[in-house]
Amino acid sequence: MTSIAAARIDGWRRTFRDPALFTTVIVLWALLALFILFPLAKLLARTFLDGGQVTLANLAAILRDVNHRQAFWNSLLLAALVGLCGTWLGFVYAFAAVRANLSRAWITVLDAASLLPLISPPFTTAIAMIYSFGPRGLITYHLLGIKGFTVYGLHSTLFSETLTYFPIAYLTLKPILAGIDPNVEDMAFSLGSSRWRVFRTVTLPLTVPGLANAFLLLFAASLADFATPLILAGNSFPVLPTQAYLQITGLFDLKGGAVLSFVLLVPALVVYLLQRYWVSRKHYVTITGKVGAQTTIKSLAPWARAPLLGACLLLAGVILYFYVLLFYASAVVALGANHAWTWRHYQVIFTEGLKAIRDTLVIAGAGMPLGGLYGILLGYLVARKIFPGRQAMEIVSMINYALPGTIVGIAYLIAFNDPPIVLTGTALIIVACYVFRYSPTGIRATVALLQQIDPSIEEASQGLGAGSGTTFRRITLPLILPAFFAGLGVVFIRSMTAISATIFLVSINWTLITVRILENMTELSLGPAAAFSVLVVVIVFAVIVAISGLLRRFRTPGAVDMTSILGG
Amino acid sequence: MPRFGSWLSRLSVPMVLGCTLGWAAAPAGAADTVNAYSIWPENWARPMFQEFEKATGIKVNFVRFSSGEALARVIHEKNNPQVDVLFGGPVETHAAGIKEGIFEPYKPPSFNVLPARFRHSEGQWVAIADDPLVFMSNIKFLKEHNLKPPASWGDLLDPAYKNMIQMADARTSGTAVTRIFSVLETYGRDEEKAFDYMKKLRPNVQLYTKSGGGGTLPVGLGQAGAGIFFIVDALDTKAKGYDVTISFPKEGIGTSAEAIALLKGAKNPELGKKLIDWAASPAMQSLYAKYKINFVPAHPDVKVEASLAEVLKGAKIFPIDDAFAGANRKRIVERWINEVLNPK
Repeated sequence: MTSIAAARIDGWRRTFRDPALFTTVIVLWALLALFILFPLAKLLARTFLDGGQVTLANLAAILRDVNHRQAFWNSLLLAALVGLCGTWLGFVYAFAAVRANLSRAWITVLDAASLLPLISPPFTTAIAMIYSFGPRGLITYHLLGIKGFTVYGLHSTLFSETLTYFPIAYLTLKPILAGIDPNVEDMAFSLGSSRWRVFRTVTLPLTVPGLANAFLLLFAASLADFATPLILAGNSFPVLPTQAYLQITGLFDLKGGAVLSFVLLVPALVVYLLQRYWVSRKHYVTITGKVGAQTTIKSLAPWARAPLLGACLLLAGVILYFYVLLFYASAVVALGANHAWTWRHYQVIFTEGLKAIRDTLVIAGAGMPLGGLYGILLGYLVARKIFPGRQAMEIVSMINYALPGTIVGIAYLIAFNDPPIVLTGTALIIVACYVFRYSPTGIRATVALLQQIDPSIEEASQGLGAGSGTTFRRITLPLILPAFFAGLGVVFIRSMTAISATIFLVSINWTLITVRILENMTELSLGPAAAFSVLVVVIVFAVIVAISGLLRRFRTPGAVDMTSILGG
Repeated sequence: MPRFGSWLSRLSVPMVLGCTLGWAAAPAGAADTVNAYSIWPENWARPMFQEFEKATGIKVNFVRFSSGEALARVIHEKNNPQVDVLFGGPVETHAAGIKEGIFEPYKPPSFNVLPARFRHSEGQWVAIADDPLVFMSNIKFLKEHNLKPPASWGDLLDPAYKNMIQMADARTSGTAVTRIFSVLETYGRDEEKAFDYMKKLRPNVQLYTKSGGGGTLPVGLGQAGAGIFFIVDALDTKAKGYDVTISFPKEGIGTSAEAIALLKGAKNPELGKKLIDWAASPAMQSLYAKYKINFVPAHPDVKVEASLAEVLKGAKIFPIDDAFAGANRKRIVERWINEVLNPK
């Protein structure tokens, strides 16, 4: 008997022997099938079926069009650049926060600034950029006196998306950098290594899975973002998600939109598989259960601290400027025309906009626990358990994240508008969309965290007679609790701030603040749009502070310190 | 092992709670509520619906979408309509919907007094307002470049406007479609000449915006110098205090009717009809002035408000032939995308 066959049989046998595992796997697969595979299948049917016949004609027509091909390369270029720049910024930021011995106050400032883009609708920085960098922009014209500066194009889209998404990289990398035991670095120092050599050969390699995760998440996020390019890319730099959105909403061409997005799915999957193959070859265990003596972090030379902090503060300053501008727009009568202070816009959103606020809160509140739970369960199963279809499960769980949101939205609309399952017009369709679209952050946080935790800790528990359930609850769960809260936080944040998929799912019964903001923007009601944005930032921030406090109370000794992951 | 299960069941409590929360919020369709997708901006639709409730006791539950989105939505929901009425929006949107079979023909009492261009012959839609296009420019920009407000289509070709004009994208916006047909009419429907003009204008266009009013704020702020918009958006920009001026091309410019339609399979057809009756009558259209909504009333009995009439005085405005526009819309928009938006 070959060992592979033996392992496979062993996997099946173990799965069936463990009813808890078996049930969980079945339930998760049912959910994945219903909310990811089924809508996708419906969408592909629209793309590749024509009167019951399989055809490539739709795809060929799109690929022949030189403009669509250009949009395809533009999307890849933008996503790769956002991935690189965002990961790099996130790493610098995380490194400063956890390995530069900064005081708590500085870290709080950095955390707060990095949180702002994450807790606001993605196009708020885009809007602020237009006012700052256009031909008569606050910065380009009034401050620097540059005339005719073009704000539309790759440069500003890249800038805005990098600022918006780098906090994801920061959140991914911070716990991983924090989880590297300083003793490991100490060993290298005591063997005579320079700081740079320790960084290059110890610290950096240990964060590789995190860097890969961060790059992948940013790449996918940029690939899926339609709102920022819609506002900033202009007509000279078309990208596919925006093209697909316009194709569907404007030309009523569902097929063309579906095909355009299908083209995007390919690079998203390729990048994902590459990263996975690369990441899975490395070892990252630094928490061994054998606690060394407490030591101080010496990763950074004292002279390097000030420039590093300065760079991070500059970035924080840019972000803060954008949000101050946003707040200003919400509190004056009409930005650029009448700068008298007023609370009128807030009055408007709390009367006419109250329904949107209530609906959004209910949806985000329902999605939060579901997303957190789903994220750690799936992450745990994928990282630690052996069962048939494990890799397939992980790949399937990533699909809705990698797919452009416009397409997920349209797929849901097609799939759930007719029997057997009619969900159009309900809150459930929006909640499900958010949970299955934004939980991959929680899943990846769980997987990345578990990769740092030596399985021998769990093996020891099972060796002492505990079942898989008890081991998960008593040993694994406390260790991955931070990932649970990270996942839950991201789902809540996205429920409050995302728009690309759910713009198709809002209904007469359930509407969302983000959709109102975009509508207000196009209706020339900048004041209410800004007021809504400020409200979103405030609500999300309050919830995060609450979660963070909760996390601090539940923290168990030995758990990786990720309390600050949500910026508390 | 059972411990894992019990742990699961404990965690499933929030899950069940979450789901119940989702389902508990079933459609809130009270007996006296009519549902509508409004293409009119919320700040204009809301006062109208509030007045309607005051007059009839019927509440209007609505969401606002731009015309392309609203139409796409109604088409997708054809088998399971979520609303009763499609409220507002340039009539080309409704014309495109007729082919999809999404409307239920209905002729309100005002039907017979409306001019022919303000009603569909079978009652698939009726007009509730008229909305001409205008040129809107930033006064400071004009001064800086020693320009007069553009008074002909040719004025916009001036190199001073290079990269400084914003107008709507024909893929999403009804405003853009009306604009393109205006240019066609101006050139006597000579497509070659019309497209030649639009191609020449292209280098001056900074951005084609998703929605018709998308460029008004940039022009107001001076981020763009000028643009082509519906008068209702342009006058609203001016009223907000932005330093802009409105002008018309001497060759003439198009106007589009704003329509309302009842949806096939509507769950509250009687209430929907009442809303249409009211919207197509002087009862609603005489309120435009009160709420400073600068639409031109469609009903012949309602007078155009004085300041609006002043702006329109002397302007050469022609209606877009909706039969011609409906028949050629798709082809013309595709040609615009291929030759103007993305020149090869």
